[in-house]
Amino acid sequence: MLAHNESHMENKSNAYTRRSLLKTIAVGSGTLALSHFAGATALAQQLPAAAKRLPSFTGPGPNPYWNSVGPMATYPQKAPLVLLTDRPVQLETPRNYFLNAITPNEAFFVRWHLESIPNEVDLSSWRLRIEGNVNKPLALTFSDLLHKFKPVTLAAVNQCSGNSRSRFGPRVAGGQWGNGAMGCARWTGVHFRELLDMAGVKSGSVQVQMQGLERGKGPKGMPSYEFKKSLDLSNPVLDESIVAYSMNGEPLPMLNGFPIRLIVPGYFATYWVKCLTEVRLLDKPDENFWMNPAYRVPDTPRGTTTSADVAAGKVRMIPINRMPVRSFIISPDGATKIPAGLPVTVRGTSFSGYGRVAKVEFSDATRGGWREAKLGEDLGPYAFRTWEYPWTPDRPGKYSLAVRATDEKGNVQPDEGVWNPGGYLWNKIERQEVTVGEPA
Amino acid sequence: MIGAGKKRRIFFALLIGVCVLAVGAIYADLQIGYYTSANLGSVVQPAPPRLQTNGVYSVAAYPLYTPQLVPGVGRQDAAAYCNTCHTPSYITMQPPLPAATWKAEVDKMGKAFGAQIPTGAQARIIKYLETHYTPETRKH
Repeated sequence: MLAHNESHMENKSNAYTRRSLLKTIAVGSGTLALSHFAGATALAQQLPAAAKRLPSFTGPGPNPYWNSVGPMATYPQKAPLVLLTDRPVQLETPRNYFLNAITPNEAFFVRWHLESIPNEVDLSSWRLRIEGNVNKPLALTFSDLLHKFKPVTLAAVNQCSGNSRSRFGPRVAGGQWGNGAMGCARWTGVHFRELLDMAGVKSGSVQVQMQGLERGKGPKGMPSYEFKKSLDLSNPVLDESIVAYSMNGEPLPMLNGFPIRLIVPGYFATYWVKCLTEVRLLDKPDENFWMNPAYRVPDTPRGTTTSADVAAGKVRMIPINRMPVRSFIISPDGATKIPAGLPVTVRGTSFSGYGRVAKVEFSDATRGGWREAKLGEDLGPYAFRTWEYPWTPDRPGKYSLAVRATDEKGNVQPDEGVWNPGGYLWNKIERQEVTVGEPA
Repeated sequence: MIGAGKKRRIFFALLIGVCVLAVGAIYADLQIGYYTSANLGSVVQPAPPRLQTNGVYSVAAYPLYTPQLVPGVGRQDAAAYCNTCHTPSYITMQPPLPAATWKAEVDKMGKAFGAQIPTGAQARIIKYLETHYTPETRKH
């Protein structure tokens, strides 16, 4: 801070005199000079946020920031996003993009497991294969998908299983996401069931497995070589799933799964296989690493447990599935002071993997109780639902704003976090501290 | 005659006055027209690519922004073996983790993921991570 002030002063014509003056004071009286330097430090803390950098990592306590703390980085077809890892690529969407219910393609988060992902796809040789336990294996071209099926469009939230993992206490290893490993797009494509029916699923099939172009450097047969996910054929979510070739009315960005990806509304993103090329009907459950033990959650209320219970073998683990209800405060973000008496619109977003958000409530922790917020446009049961609340802080001070959503199934966000070894299912009530200043 | 005590009092009164003026001057400087030189962190604007009408769809190379690992015994092993599947950002991104967690993570890379790391190198990698990336030891 002091060094910062000094360099600032050097830019001014009269700075040198002042610096000499400060030096004189420092020599003249240690104690006094110290107290004045402390004063200068306090001033510097009110400088623009950009003047001070985030730390390069957080912990061992929970990450206190909304996003993860990585630098902003640019990737092909992408706006600057928060970088988690560079190979494989993992990028987080900055907070401000969630003011809108639709997340732009260029800001949509990116998460790959393995490093060999396509930079190029040749659609003239590309095929989507439906194979395995079927009557008639299929090899569909991109244009088959465009023209041989009735297109369907659906707005749905895609959220990484580990979104907000950095909130965990104790922390768990893995992608240290803040809240931005989520996004909502309008997906257009083909009903997944229609493709399965066309191939003719043989009796005795139990699961459908999805695989895309993602490959790794590991030995064949190991999870570091390929990524595969499966869903039970009896799962009703298959009736709502689509194979999407369009995202927000545009081709999918390469990093989000060009040319097609599976959309599994309400489910965590682990099943939304990118660059989908193979759909396999299985006659026994998929036990590959990415199904077991990866992406499993405790079979307990809210999927919460303790490391002691896990170590003692007391916890039954099941494949992760639907996303619990969540809501977020996007603005104000606490970086700007608000003058007392000024009406501000508190804005945010919400969603649930179990259906529509029925209610969003806001609290400023001063007037007691929750107040119902106004919901934004309804884009469908699995989309983001924005909300806003007109708020006028009447007195200067620190305010803790909170938001909580309730979905149509009656699930309400709790005020307790969860803990599980994978760092999944976080949906604690979100809070934002804001500073309200004197108006006059 | 001015006594030594009085002299000292005048000196301190002047000193306080000077300090108040100095801080006031700094404060005034920060109130308006305050700029500082900084790294822009600028991003190069890409030129529109020349595209052909064939069936090939491509994007530019994915950039690497690879962080440095802390110098120390075992860093070379980590760089050599871990880097096969992922860059060190997978290490630096983590919060400080207990030594037992680092051991479990490295063991998982071998057993579950199939990383082929010789026993000696694996032990050195674990020791390296335990030495530099725990709550007690992590600095960078």
